Amino acid sequence: MTSPIEHCKECVDLLGEYIEGTLQPEQAKALEDHLSLCPPCITFVRTYRATRKLCRAALVTDMPHELMSSLSSFLGKHVPGFPCSKPDSSAVAMEATADIGPKKV
Amino acid sequence: MADTPQMQQQALAPEEPRADGQPGDRELVERAQKGDGAAFAQLVERHQRQLYRLALRMTGSEADAQEVLQEAFLNAYQKLPLFRGEAQFSSWLYRIAANSALMRLRRKRRAPDSLSDQALELSGPRFSAEGYLEPTSSSDWSQRADERMMSGELGAAINKAVEQLPDDYRTVFLLKDVDGLSNEDIAQALDLTVPAVKSRLHRARLALREKLGEFFDAPAK
Repeated sequence: MTSPIEHCKECVDLLGEYIEGTLQPEQAKALEDHLSLCPPCITFVRTYRATRKLCRAALVTDMPHELMSSLSSFLGKHVPGFPCSKPDSSAVAMEATADIGPKKV
Repeated sequence: MADTPQMQQQALAPEEPRADGQPGDRELVERAQKGDGAAFAQLVERHQRQLYRLALRMTGSEADAQEVLQEAFLNAYQKLPLFRGEAQFSSWLYRIAANSALMRLRRKRRAPDSLSDQALELSGPRFSAEGYLEPTSSSDWSQRADERMMSGELGAAINKAVEQLPDDYRTVFLLKDVDGLSNEDIAQALDLTVPAVKSRLHRARLALREKLGEFFDAPAK
């Protein structure tokens, strides 16, 4: 049986696994019992969650289409049967000067 | 590509069907191992975005990420006969790309000797001697985030705070919370244990939370 969580530090230590849902059910219950009695920890959970959300919104990035085209072109030269996608207009200019080595962006 | 004894798959559980109806990784790998270039192209199409994020997060440079990606996929193709299917194909691929990124960083003398040997200077919440949160660690700024985000100030503060994390903590945080890789894939790619990934992730989040708290508690410019 899991001991009750009396101190905030124990609560904070378990928070990462709690918000990912990987905490043991008994530990999650003990943590929720602590939260129900501890407003500072409720605030802590909110700001911990907000940190992840805000960082993701600010930092998320996707692979540029030009890079997909150049990767496809590169592998097409080295992998038998690898179908090269049709490059878009911006990639055509890059390919005109390309050799088989890695290309610079 | 020639068929070799190493290519023989062990008796593995049937592959889960994909929601989009496309062949699973295992089937594509088997076809690619028999020389089907189109199957390998499907694997590239499926995994290139996540591999790009991994390479970008590890090297910090789009140009380096591009070269890592080319090297990693070519390396994966050449090593495909050795892939036995005990691990997820994606995890195997991440490991190849991470090795390529680390070698590139070492050539540039930017990589730490070991991911675990860096000095750790991370801030975190403050507790009383009894283990209770100090009031300075419990200000609720979570509801004020959207209006400040609009100004762009917050984005700059986040970038600065993330830049200040030690390399190995920053990489784990970005791969998990921004790029959405699983703890297992991150562990495989960075040669860490899953508990080490969880620990670094949590400490990075705590440090970033402190920095964001300082930002929101400061008077608006």
